[in-house]
Parts: sequence; structure tokens; C-alpha cells
Amino acid sequence: MAIVELQNIRKVYDAKVAVEGLSLMIEPGTMFGLLGPNGSGKSSTIRMMIGITQPDSGTVRLFDQPFDRKALHRIGYLPEERGLYKKMKVIDQLVFLGQLHGLDAVTANKRAHAWCERMQISDAIEKKTEELSKGMQQKIQFIASLLHEPDLIIMDEPFSGLDPVNATLLMDTLVELRKRGKTILFSTHRMDQVEKLCDSIALISRGKLVLSGTMRAVKSSYPKNRVQVYFEGDAGFLNHPSIESAKNYSGMAEIKLAGSAPDAQPLLAAAVNGGTRINRFEVMEPTLEEIFIERVGPDGLETVEGSRARE
Amino acid sequence: MGWRQWKGAVRVNNTLLVARREYVERIRTKGFLVMTVLVPLILVGIGFAVSMVNGHSNGTKIVIVSADRHFADDLAEELKTASHGTATAEIVSQPKDGMRSELNARLKERGLDGYLWVTPAAAAGVRPTFEWTPKAKADIVTQSNISSAIRSTLTREGLLRSGMSGAEVESLLKPVDLDSTEAGKPSGLASLASVYAIFFIMYFTIVQYGMNVSRSIIEEKSSRIFEVLLSTIKPEEMLAGKVLGVGAVGLTQIGIWVGAALAYFKFALVATGMQFPLSGVQMIAFIVFFLLGYTLFSSVAAALGAMCSSEQELQQLNMVLMLPLILCSVFIFRIITDSDGLLAKAFSFFPFTTPLIMYVRISVKQPPTWQIALSVFDLVVAIAVVIWLASKIYRVGILMYGKKPNLPEIMRWLKYS
Repeated sequence: MAIVELQNIRKVYDAKVAVEGLSLMIEPGTMFGLLGPNGSGKSSTIRMMIGITQPDSGTVRLFDQPFDRKALHRIGYLPEERGLYKKMKVIDQLVFLGQLHGLDAVTANKRAHAWCERMQISDAIEKKTEELSKGMQQKIQFIASLLHEPDLIIMDEPFSGLDPVNATLLMDTLVELRKRGKTILFSTHRMDQVEKLCDSIALISRGKLVLSGTMRAVKSSYPKNRVQVYFEGDAGFLNHPSIESAKNYSGMAEIKLAGSAPDAQPLLAAAVNGGTRINRFEVMEPTLEEIFIERVGPDGLETVEGSRARE
Repeated sequence: MGWRQWKGAVRVNNTLLVARREYVERIRTKGFLVMTVLVPLILVGIGFAVSMVNGHSNGTKIVIVSADRHFADDLAEELKTASHGTATAEIVSQPKDGMRSELNARLKERGLDGYLWVTPAAAAGVRPTFEWTPKAKADIVTQSNISSAIRSTLTREGLLRSGMSGAEVESLLKPVDLDSTEAGKPSGLASLASVYAIFFIMYFTIVQYGMNVSRSIIEEKSSRIFEVLLSTIKPEEMLAGKVLGVGAVGLTQIGIWVGAALAYFKFALVATGMQFPLSGVQMIAFIVFFLLGYTLFSSVAAALGAMCSSEQELQQLNMVLMLPLILCSVFIFRIITDSDGLLAKAFSFFPFTTPLIMYVRISVKQPPTWQIALSVFDLVVAIAVVIWLASKIYRVGILMYGKKPNLPEIMRWLKYS
């Protein structure tokens, strides 16, 4: 069975196609990455998943059932655009949102306190939202999406605007929730951030699915053609015929090997024979971002870099 | 994984949850407290200031200078009766030299509102001449009171001179009462006043509080919290909750004000021996039509809020809300005078004018029960339709679909796609 199953969903806003024939499946207990540049249709897809909008065509299934609003109480959602009631006290806010998700006030209150302690923001509990820092507000919204102990947790760009300490805290929490059997859906344009976390991914570009599958399968379907070298001395080995392209950062080089079954061994031999001192030589699989760029071409690259610059 | 029972046994209705949050948060604000206390204080203050400025009306004091002592006494008596004892006259029957300048000086000291100089007639049967010097030239009320008192006194004296008995003269000169009180209903004047009162209460409430509903919705749109809310509740539930919650805040405030005013008037009415201006039927009609009208207009305000993304935009649409009310105020006279007429009937079944006009009709002359029932039904249906429409607009407004977006909408849409 699948926690989420989208079949051929399509959404057109006025003249622009936001999502086109997208199908994907999220297995229970996994961390799933919905990846793609800004404006590629990630948020639109999520909105259709949780009934904020309806697909023009195609079907949505949640928890192995046709879409039903009742299932929404089992979902925790952190939208990309964060919003809280500015003048409301943190605890009142959390209890209100908890109640909307079907909790009674007492349970919501108890859990809100426990979560605030865990997220190290107990001091903020009696304060108004507008008195808090951006990072604290993020944590509160994060808590709000988890208060009702959802089986499916959807996080749209969860790390944007968080400092590294808090990002790690949030990530650790999510990893632990997955251990307890929850299913987690990440949506982000920062592919490097979720590379280590996700079990499965779907890469989308311009509303269409580029590729999907388990992280292992995706990665292994691409050759290990990246080499990182830390060296001293002559850089002449970078002209070796097995190299497709190389960047030399004086003492460190990033190399992409040519061919569909590349072998780095001759390159290493050539470098050593040429008298270059090798401090580190690592053969790596391509990153998700590199795979993505390879699949969607230079246009995709532009979008990725464009979205980077915006951040 | 099958269907599991949701955690948390109690499922409170979403609409009520939204309404409660809205109500509690608003009641807690300082603004609410300040408004609730300040407005009545300001009104009382204004009333006090007005009565201070018009202070003399509580006791007009004049001087009558007249060689004819008998006439002066009669005139003073007449003035006192006509003014229910508030006007008193001091009589000087033998003016000394320099009397005028002394009186003029007293006028300036504000102890006196004016003096009347009576020069007796040279021959019998000819009117004496009167010279009125007021403190303020614009005080035409006192002037006309004096003028009519003089006329009455002259008439009385003339009649007595022509041989009528005192009693006959009194019964002739007694003021005439026009009895317009219908059996079982308070006087027409009072009910007209109450019609106007309700008109202004409704007008004020809709302007002040209906707009709060739109503002609250715009605020929610700009804070983007709606996305979290819409992931569990429907736009209809959210809008209905807003209308109820914000509406209830307005009602609470007005309730406090009206309660205070009633308590005040109860003393005032007991003191003056007047009757409470509303009958039982009118009271019920007031409550029913006020609540329904308020809800309807708040729902329209919600729809307006859903359409706009800023308060400036909202201002331009305010007219939509005000138009039916203005229409009512234009036609209210014709409707009061002809409460069974076509115009009155048409207006009392058009939902946006029903609350005011049906109330007026009930106040003036009770229409058939089925008409009242129909108008209430009209209103309820209109409220449901408006809320439904508003939630459609809301969804389109925030998520931009099925609608031709303008430039800023396209920008936002790109951001959220």
C-alpha cells in the first residue's frame, strides 16, 4: 500500500500549466523528497495532495483510500510561506491549531508544552508571536504541524531561513519521527540538503516528473564519474584523456570522467607517475543536483542557480 | 494501514473553533476595552457639554420693566406656566433713572437673559409698546416664548375686559392636546424616533463592525496562515467562523452600550413619567431583524474582504455595502407613510433592505404574519448564499484559479506554483 498515491494529476492555472501528468507513490515509513527548482510545481502538487485545491484531472489517494477530507487529520503540513497570528500567544495558537486538527484542548495544551521543551523554546510559550525571532516562529509552526501526531508529515521547504543549529535540530526530530513509523515528505529546491536523508525521491521540473525512485536506484543508475583530488605539485595530470572536464582550485580539483563506464585508476597512475603528490583521491557518485542538471539540461541548470541566488 | 480513529475524542465544530478564537482574541485587546468605555464616556461628555452651553434653558431669567404692575404680574405668570416653571421674571414697576444702563450691565454679567421694557399705551384700548433686549440676539426661542406670552396675556385681559368670566377665559386659552396614541401602541412620535434610532444603530454597526470582518479576512490572507487552516478546514467553515466571531464582538460591545443606555434611560423615564418607546413586538422585531441584517451584511463584508488584498482596495468596495442602506434612508419617509404600499413591500422582501424596512413596517402597522415569515426566510437564504459565494471568492482569491489574474496576482501565483 501507499501513504500517498498520485495518478496522472494535472493542474492548470489560467493559461499556465502548473502540474502535468504527475504520478508518484510514497511508501509508509519512508522519507520522501519532492525535489525541483522554484516554480517547478512542488507546492501545487502538495496542495492537491491535501485538498487545498483539486486537480483538474487525475486522482489522489491518501492512506490507500480515495481522497477524503477526513484523512486530513492524519496529516501534518508545514507550508512554504509561514504564517502565524501575530498578536496571539504561542500557547493559545498551538492549542487552537491542535483543536482544528481534532485534538481536545487539554491534550493539545499538554503536547504543546512537551514539544516546546523539546524544541528549547519553553520561554516563548506565554509570549505573543510578534515578540519572537524568525527562527522561533519557524519552530512554533513546526510544532503546530506535529501536535496531532500525524502519520504523514509534509514539509514544504522546511529549512529555509533556519540557522544550521536549528536546521539540525529539526532534521534530527524528523529522523526520529520516521523511526517511529511516520512517513515524511520533504519538498525543497535545495537538493544537497536532503540527499543524505531521503529514502526515495521524485525530481520534477516545469510540472513534469523527471525521474523518481529510491535514492539507491537513482544513484546507481548513474556512473561513478566524479573524482575529487587534493594534490601538491604539477597539475599536468588534469589533461589526461580520461577526463571530460575538470576544475582546478589550486591544490584541489573536481573532475568529471568521460564515458559511460569510467575508470579513475589510469588517471591516478598518471598523476603519481608525473610526480604529483596526491593527498587525497576520491571517486564519487554524482550528486542529485548533478543528476538533475544532466536530465533537464542547461535550462534546468539556470533555474537551479536562479533559485539559489534568490535565497 | 487501515482507518484509525483520530486521536482526541472531542471534535469541536471547526466553524465554532474559528469563531471562538476570533472572539476571544478580539475581546482581549486593549482597543476593545478602550472603545467600549470611551465611546459612552465621550457621548455623555458631549451631552454634558451641550447642556452646559445651553445652560440658560434650564432657567431663563428676565426682567420686565412696566409701570402697569397688574399686566406685568399676569405676563410673569403666563411665562412661568408656558415654560413649565423654568422661566422667571423679575418685575420693576417703577424704573429709576439709569435703569437701562444698569440692566445692560446685568446682561453682560450673564445673570440675565434679557429684559422687556413695556411702555404703557397713551390711550385705553391701544396696545402698549414692547421693547425686548436680549443677551444674545440669536436667542429666538426665548424671544418667541415671550412674544406668545405677551399675546396670551393681552388676549386674556381683553376677554376679561369684555365681560367673560375667569373660568371661561381659562378654558378657551387652554392648550390643545392632539391625541395620536393608538390603542396598545406607544405614540407615533416615539415609534418614529425608535425607527430612526434602529436605522442609525444598524448603519453604524455595519460600517464599524462589518468592516472588521473584511479586515480580519484580509489580515489572514496577508499573514498566510490560511494555508495551514485550509489544510484541515474548508473555506466556508473558516468564513462562517469569522463572521460569527467578529460579529459577536461587535454585538458584545453594542450590547454593553445599549445595556448602559437602557439603565440610564430607565431612571430618566421614571423621573419624567414617560413610557418606554418600544412595544414587545417591536423589541422582538428589533432583535430578530437586527441580528439577521447584521449577519447578512457581515457576510457581504466577508466576501468583499475575500476579493481584496489590501485595505485600500476594500475602501473602494465599501459602497457596495452602503448602497442598500442609503437606499433605505432615501425612501424611509414614503415607506412610513404608506407601509402597505408596493414600494414598502418590494423593499421588505429584497434581502439587503429587509432588516430595516420590515422593522419599519412592523413598527408602523403590523403586516400579515406570512409576510414577516417570508422576509425572515429570505434573509436566512441570502446569508447562506452570500457565505457560500464568499468562500468561492476566497478560494479563488488566495489560490488564483478559474479567474483572470491581474499583474500582482500573476506574480503571487508564480511564487506559489
